[in-house]
Amino acid sequence: MADPARSDVAPSKIEICGVSKRYATDDPDTPLVLDNINLAIGDNEFVTLVGRSGCGKTTLLNIIGGLVESTHGDVKVNGRTVSGPGQGKGMVFQQHALFPWLTALQNVGFGCRNKGVHKAERDQIAHQLIELVGLHGFEDKYPAELSGGMQQRVAIARALATDPEILLMDEPFGALDELTRLEMQDELLRVWSAHKKTVVFVTHSISEALVLSDRVILLAARPGRIRREFPIPFPRPRKRTDPQMIALYDDIWKSLA
Amino acid sequence: MVTSRIISGLCLIILLLLWQFAVMSGFLKPFQFPPPSRIGEAIVELAVSGFPNGERIWTHVGITLWRIIQGYVLAIGLAVPIGLLIGTIAVLDKLTLPIITFLRSVATLSLLPLVIIWFGTGELTKVLLIAYGCFWAMLSNVIAGVKYVDPVMIRAARTLDTRPLAMFVRVVIPAALPRMFAGARMALGVGFMVIVGAEMIGTIQGLGALIMEARTFYRSDITIVGMLFIGLLGFTITSGLSWLETILLPWSKGLSEVRR
Amino acid sequence: MTTSVRWQDAVLGAAGTGGLFLLWELASRSGLVSTNVFPAPTTAIIGTLQTVPLADILGHVWTSLGRIFWGFALGAVLGTVIGIASGWYRALGVLTRPLIELLRPIPPLAWIPLAIIWFGLGEPSKVFVIFLGAFFPIVTSAYRGMIGIDPALLRVGQTMGLRGPMLLIRVAVPAAMPDLATGIRIGWGLSFGVLVAAELIAADRGMGFMIMNARQLGDVDVIVFGIILIGAINLITDYAIGAVIRRRIGRWHAI
Ligand SMILES: Nc1ncnc2c1ncn2[C@@H]1O[C@H](COP(=O)(O)OP(=O)(O)OP(=O)(O)O)[C@@H](O)[C@H]1O
Ligand SMILES: [Mg+2]
Repeated sequence: MADPARSDVAPSKIEICGVSKRYATDDPDTPLVLDNINLAIGDNEFVTLVGRSGCGKTTLLNIIGGLVESTHGDVKVNGRTVSGPGQGKGMVFQQHALFPWLTALQNVGFGCRNKGVHKAERDQIAHQLIELVGLHGFEDKYPAELSGGMQQRVAIARALATDPEILLMDEPFGALDELTRLEMQDELLRVWSAHKKTVVFVTHSISEALVLSDRVILLAARPGRIRREFPIPFPRPRKRTDPQMIALYDDIWKSLA
Repeated sequence: MVTSRIISGLCLIILLLLWQFAVMSGFLKPFQFPPPSRIGEAIVELAVSGFPNGERIWTHVGITLWRIIQGYVLAIGLAVPIGLLIGTIAVLDKLTLPIITFLRSVATLSLLPLVIIWFGTGELTKVLLIAYGCFWAMLSNVIAGVKYVDPVMIRAARTLDTRPLAMFVRVVIPAALPRMFAGARMALGVGFMVIVGAEMIGTIQGLGALIMEARTFYRSDITIVGMLFIGLLGFTITSGLSWLETILLPWSKGLSEVRR
Repeated sequence: MTTSVRWQDAVLGAAGTGGLFLLWELASRSGLVSTNVFPAPTTAIIGTLQTVPLADILGHVWTSLGRIFWGFALGAVLGTVIGIASGWYRALGVLTRPLIELLRPIPPLAWIPLAIIWFGLGEPSKVFVIFLGAFFPIVTSAYRGMIGIDPALLRVGQTMGLRGPMLLIRVAVPAAMPDLATGIRIGWGLSFGVLVAAELIAADRGMGFMIMNARQLGDVDVIVFGIILIGAINLITDYAIGAVIRRRIGRWHAI
């Protein structure tokens, strides 16, 4: 945190080069969902995407994650073009996407099991993460037996379990109450700074973006373009009531509207 | 909940009493509507001396059950691997879709005359007909189960570095299981439907035969006993299957009907 | 793009079907399978059209369709009304459910003897058995659809001032539609199967009778032709019902 200009100096972890997207079902003459997006995200940087609903945040995140193919342009991670999902890119989905036939603990351990981690170690990791997201005592519940916010927290724990270097999070705290949300924000920042992760985070809350990220990217809809970028050079932990923060908030708010 | 059960039970009892009374008072003809008392006597008769030719009710139940089990197991055993294969390989699915749709539409019992010409009126004919009906019901559900796994789930698994084999074994198959169980239940229903038709020809053993035979002897009470027993048999096996599902798939709230 | 994919699917499907028929045709023509046992599709169709007058065939089809129409229509209407009403009005449910649950596991064909005793050997007994085939799946799925309605939807309706029968018509029935639609398709398939079986056992006309009669005459061509005909009619009618359902509710509920 001592180095505010870090993202300019460090080599880019994620490079988004001229990415455009049109879905196959779209009419050819509607504007593009994403139109020539260029963005470089540094190692250990925390970037937030904001923008009106439907502006293409999820689409962009899916393209970075290698789940959706771009129509033009490509995404590089560590200098190599992304060809598919996985490989160190953890993802939290907007719709949780938990496996309904696995308990909370098993859902969290799913990725480790793919890596061949032994059951004892896997369970230990999963227990720790369950604890981290505040779901102690719910390890053996199935997703259908958890509330929406609890499901979301399991999904976050699942993405963290394999300790990916990149975290792609699509409104991960959307279903949480204000208090849990604040707690989870603190935990995320702790994990991020302790484990040197690069985070791309989607949110609808400007104040959440301000508290968390190094940089806020504002997307415009149809055609989906980067409207503005807002570096947030303040040291953490940040106070929402800080006058500088309030000024930035107003600035983003005006650009959004 | 409990009170509504009691009321339900009371309603049934009242209905039975009304029926008995209507026959005794001559309002309903005993041959057309054998009263509950007669049906009770018929059950005793079937259990003790048997009908026809001394075949007791247990023989009929056992034989029907054995025929269904053979056909059903054969059908499920074939449909599951074939369905998993077709559901996984998109080209295979597209190649076979119209054929499967058509063969499933073929009314199983319309095959009866042909199968009789091929294999006579013996056991094989009955088992094959049951297997045919069950097979298509199961197959199309296995294929659909595999094909329509929630794509978001597949995506989530892919972000967790799931390799193809693990994807199949640990994501696709579990996600398809509720649908497969629904198929197994549907197939069972088809099996019970077919067995009655199949047993109406060329045999005097089995519940279907009992039901038909009784009519030629003007024993409508025995027909009703046969119906009760086949209903009971079907109900028991279906419940067993549902129970198995809740044991094996505790996470699934039960795909009572096939949606999607 | 979507249209070309659809074309590709159709071509693949046609190729698969064509391939199977070709194999069957070849197996039969090369003498691998005896024509007296399992004739090639062309042999069966040509053979039938040569021996049985077209008017007779159409007559059988017409008779069968008439039976299934009445049986199914009766089953669908009664099943829908009773299913929805017993799901909506608690008291009615308590009265009707036990009887329906008791009778539902009895296969429709097992009713044939009683149907004959009650209604004689004529048309009503066949219509009755077909009715049973349609009624039970439809009444059950309509009832399930009703009791499975998301309570939140009903509450929304109530907050908008809907009450009693209006809530039933405007919210509950549409919400139960997908389940009802499933039941209707299952009911159609079942009553079709029942129809054929009923005609095999006791009839002097209809498609089921046509093939059973052909067995007595040893005419395999007609049997195979009949099986294909029955299957095709079932397929087409089921497709038509499915298309109507998709038109009505396909946009908001994937089937
Ligand atoms: N699979 C798809 N097929 C066709 N169009 C799609 C698909 N997914 C998204 N879109 C379209 O792309 C646009 C952007 O969608 P996207 O889900 O990326 O928005 P978003 O910014 O994540 O919105 P929200 O904040 O509501 O989650 C929308 O107009 C949407 O209709
Ligand atoms: Mg989104």
